[in-house]
Amino acid sequence: MSFLTAVPLPDAFETRTNATFEALMWALSRPGTVQDLPAPGSAGIAEALLDRECRAFCDDPALADRIATFGAALVPLPLADHCFLALDAGLDRLAQIAVGSALYPDTGATVVAQARFGTGQRLRLTGPGIETLAEIALDGIAPGFWALRAALCRYPAGFDLFLTCGAQVIGLPRSTTIEVL
Amino acid sequence: MTIATLTKPWEAMSYGFLDASAKRELRRKMLKAIAVPGCQMPYASREVPMARGWGTGGLQVTLTLLRPSSVVKVIDQGADDSVNAASIRSFLSKVSGARETWDTLEATILQSRHRIPEERLRADQVLVLQVPNPEPLRPVEPNMSVARQMHADADYGRLWLILYEQIVRSGRVMQGAAYPSLVNGRHVMTPSPIPRWDVPKLHMAQHLTFLSAGREKRLYAVPPFTRVEPLVFSDVPFQVEDHAALTCHRSGLTGYFMNEIPQGDGGSQFELSDSNLGIKAIRQAEGADARIGPTWYENGKTS
Repeated sequence: MSFLTAVPLPDAFETRTNATFEALMWALSRPGTVQDLPAPGSAGIAEALLDRECRAFCDDPALADRIATFGAALVPLPLADHCFLALDAGLDRLAQIAVGSALYPDTGATVVAQARFGTGQRLRLTGPGIETLAEIALDGIAPGFWALRAALCRYPAGFDLFLTCGAQVIGLPRSTTIEVL
Repeated sequence: MTIATLTKPWEAMSYGFLDASAKRELRRKMLKAIAVPGCQMPYASREVPMARGWGTGGLQVTLTLLRPSSVVKVIDQGADDSVNAASIRSFLSKVSGARETWDTLEATILQSRHRIPEERLRADQVLVLQVPNPEPLRPVEPNMSVARQMHADADYGRLWLILYEQIVRSGRVMQGAAYPSLVNGRHVMTPSPIPRWDVPKLHMAQHLTFLSAGREKRLYAVPPFTRVEPLVFSDVPFQVEDHAALTCHRSGLTGYFMNEIPQGDGGSQFELSDSNLGIKAIRQAEGADARIGPTWYENGKTS
């Protein structure tokens, strides 16, 4: 069979990054729903999204090394378009997350963090992607974070949040209104 | 870091035609587009083996989503068998191994030029609309930097002025396609040149919609359950085309969007614009097993 007629097959990298993106896409399209990633952790998300065109911030040295191999520049938090953070402490610095502007909403950062799903603080979500309202429970996130997010995300400026728990992910775009219950 | 970690085995072609860096850029922009519904996000718009303006924007979004288990439907003004739709569909399956279909119910990804199928799309389906002109403000503001500022300020008054002038001149809103619509109460988008008939299908829909303009290098999205409200005046309600009472002369179906076929005697006949719905109706009438899903419109009214 010639190369022109062969049916192409995705390699492992393509299969993995495609599935990761699909999980992220549906997570962001339906905020609060839990989607399955092909592999646990944030490294797979970085692999699917980051390359030499990106500036990333990462406070986990092991993950930062991995991100560097994808080609992304490691920069201080205010300059980063993708942030891999711990949200359980250090709220002061989180105010530096890039939120873009009404003129350039696309410059708002994508934030990836870890949390535990199904326990802890209950949140009520409304907004695009949610028919009426959704309720989720998250643990491992500092209590003041949601107030900080509300203050920073002045729609359409803001940042978009992916929370991972093992190989599961929840997306919280800036368009979602979060009520702390 | 070694040479081995920086290189990869030789391939005849990247899976899904686009290379990995093009896909990553599209993924990043598609996520931002979902996060800010209706807001146009710039992207690089790579070369694809098709001229800009023939659906390259939709093609790149579809190529990014494709995997071997995908089932793709491509329509051009409702028809699966037009040259443009058939070429794009065969290209998509050739570069990805995805299955081709004409059936809206079977498809996982639907790429469309200027129509939304009549059968309701489900939560697991993605609609990709090809967009020639993504900027709703272009008729009133040709300078794109100024238009960007107007989007930032939600300064959309001049769009109502267009509609007002149409009413003054013609007695009704003449905007037939690409009807400007307010998304999530914040950004006005052009829903691509779909007829007014199709605009209510985007409002609080189950499915995810991407709209991508390859020539203009911008893409935007309407996530599921997002408000899409056509611009109206409080005393001039939004009206879709008056097709409710028309009957398709080939399938006998009534109450869907029709193409008008002029006849030699000066009259006209009508046929379904969503051609595969007509095919399924004809096959049903012949006793074949063709399932028609629930439709957005029933007897010409949104259900």
